[in-house]
Amino acid sequence: MIVAAWICLLAPLAAALLITLLGTGISRRTAAYISTSSVLGSFAAAVVVFAKLSSESPDARSHSSTVWEWLTAGSFHVGLRILVDPLSVFMMLIVSGVGFLIVAYSIGYMDGDDEERRYFAYMALFVFSMLLLVQAGNFVILLAGWGLVGLSSYLLIGFWHERPAAIAAAKKAFIMNAIGDATMALAFFLLIQHHNTLNFPPALHVGPGHGWLVNLVALGLLGGAVAKSAQIPLQTWLPDAMEGPTPVSALIHAATMVTAGVYLIVRCHAIFEQAPRVEELAAGLGAGTLLVAGLIALVQTDIKRVIAYSTMSQIGYMFLGAGLGAYANAMFHLMTHAFFKALLFMAAGVVIHALAGEQDIRKLAGVGGLMPVTRIVFLIGCLALIGVPPLAGFFSKDSIIAASFARGWYGTVLSIAALIGTFLTGLYTSRLFLIVFTGEPSPFVREHLLGRSHAHGQEGAHGEDDPSRPHSVHVHRGEGPFWLMAPVLVLAVLSVVGGWIQFAPLWHPLSTWLDEVAPPLATPSSAQEAVASVLAVLLGLAGVALAFAFYGRRRLAVPRIAWAQTLLEHKFYFDEAYDFAFYRPAVWLSLQLGRWVEGLIIGGSIREIAQGVREAGLGTGRLQTGLVRTYALAIAASLAVITVVFVAVR
Amino acid sequence: MKGPEIVWYLAVAASLFATGALGVLLRRSLLIVLLSLEIMLNGANLALIAFSRLHGESSGQIFALAVMAVAASEVVVGLGLIVAIARKRLDLDVDKLSFLRG
Repeated sequence: MIVAAWICLLAPLAAALLITLLGTGISRRTAAYISTSSVLGSFAAAVVVFAKLSSESPDARSHSSTVWEWLTAGSFHVGLRILVDPLSVFMMLIVSGVGFLIVAYSIGYMDGDDEERRYFAYMALFVFSMLLLVQAGNFVILLAGWGLVGLSSYLLIGFWHERPAAIAAAKKAFIMNAIGDATMALAFFLLIQHHNTLNFPPALHVGPGHGWLVNLVALGLLGGAVAKSAQIPLQTWLPDAMEGPTPVSALIHAATMVTAGVYLIVRCHAIFEQAPRVEELAAGLGAGTLLVAGLIALVQTDIKRVIAYSTMSQIGYMFLGAGLGAYANAMFHLMTHAFFKALLFMAAGVVIHALAGEQDIRKLAGVGGLMPVTRIVFLIGCLALIGVPPLAGFFSKDSIIAASFARGWYGTVLSIAALIGTFLTGLYTSRLFLIVFTGEPSPFVREHLLGRSHAHGQEGAHGEDDPSRPHSVHVHRGEGPFWLMAPVLVLAVLSVVGGWIQFAPLWHPLSTWLDEVAPPLATPSSAQEAVASVLAVLLGLAGVALAFAFYGRRRLAVPRIAWAQTLLEHKFYFDEAYDFAFYRPAVWLSLQLGRWVEGLIIGGSIREIAQGVREAGLGTGRLQTGLVRTYALAIAASLAVITVVFVAVR
Repeated sequence: MKGPEIVWYLAVAASLFATGALGVLLRRSLLIVLLSLEIMLNGANLALIAFSRLHGESSGQIFALAVMAVAASEVVVGLGLIVAIARKRLDLDVDKLSFLRG
């Protein structure tokens, strides 16, 4: 079983190395197949691990394996150690399974790109990083995976490195994540000092009576989780990350990266439970993020950005659940979210792919009638996101809301935020769907999709939104090639049935599976479950109805409140605030330091020293007359003086 | 030990050295300065050999031989410089050859 876990971990790394080493010796398509099959291999290995693990008794389902102790300092050891337990297996299945579908989808999406081999090497590296993160057997390996995920996301967001916006977005993501990495590393130092070990599970159990220590550690971990999962206040990198190719967005949002924060909280729940204030802070941040992101999503005009904000909002639900101790529910929502978010991104990708990389929903308007299959799968994704029964989101989201009902007044306050969030979700999701997939096709759509039948093959309908990028002329019939549509259809099925594995009051195999690793703090009663479900569905449907009135039937004019619209379009001025709070002072400080310290103190002192040396040289130079006889006289005279001195001293 | 006392040898050596030193200090012709240097070296050699004979040791003579070898190479270099300067039609006057003024 451990061997299978290692295979699961190392197969994508091997693929990344193989593609890198073979270079141009293989065709682009071969690179794609190597990458895809390695992730599929990972998934198969994860299934094997799962099967083995589930055949064991529940209290013995935790295995670790160390291949190499690479750091020893006194009694402190750190090794390349992986941990296989129900939680990590659960994450392995999601990461490699959904990851496989996304990489396979990339075969169709990236077909014809100049640097396909590099892309697939990065994708494999990304999956490897995330697997390393979830399989880590100690905090150091977890941090290594954490950092590698940041690195891969940086490489993939900036994949189209000719575009300045992509490079800026990549840097932003990297820096935001680095803040979280730093706070996590500080937390680990504290743990080393106190515990002398970073291995799971002993490092997770900080005994009571270390109030400030455990609070600091939990805060550090929360900082890392918030940065990686794009929660307030470190959320601004996520929408910008839409500059990457669409499958990358799907991978970041569904299978890897943003879910890492939720995983971290669930993995370290023992630490967070010792620091209840920090845990409540995590839940509060989640609730805040889900509202803010839902509001911003209402006014976005970029199809991918709307979905990105909805990811932020859904991760907010997971933080809310994890922060309130509903660990299994958070992980359940993580899984269903992976299905329908990947589906939404990939369906959006099909549209973007067919329409020459256009992402503006006003230009994409009315494409649905021409792409019926995509419309249906996108609708499935939207309904799953809103939480309409019996689709996946209904089961998972409602269970989080129900669990927060069960956590006292604080949970109730947050659950109200979550319920408002479901209304917003219904509104912005339906707005997106209604604008893009219903109504009359826009001139842009007509030109690209209908015009093609007349001038078939003349137009390269392939590529992203930069027309200067050279792309092979490649036109496909229908909505997309096999590699595009097949993963989308699989995910559509998963988005429908994925939620059925758990329906809290009736059957809950998932909670049972995770119970040994992360026993929940909140067990809602059946009444709370029912109330939460009914309210959430009703509010979601209310959002849908409102959107329908605004954008479908156009019975109501969309309300325009100038200040609110400006506020939302500027994303609550987070970027501006950071610019004002950090960037400007930093630049000002650098300029002042440059002027006064560098210019005056450092440069001035060096100038002074140089001047002094120069003057001393000129002074001594005057002794150098060039007359040999003077030198000879000087030598003779000094000799005479020395002789006299020696004689006299005697 | 036959012959004059050591003092006499040293007196001759000192007068040779003083002659040379004065030549180096006072004369302006390059050639003469070089010659005077040789005289100084030979004064030193004489003192070395005198002491060597006084103590019955041969190391002083070996030193003198080494000094001669050094003097010979020094003369080669010095004469070479003088020839080069003469070829450039410059005055062979040490006071005028003051290019290394600081």
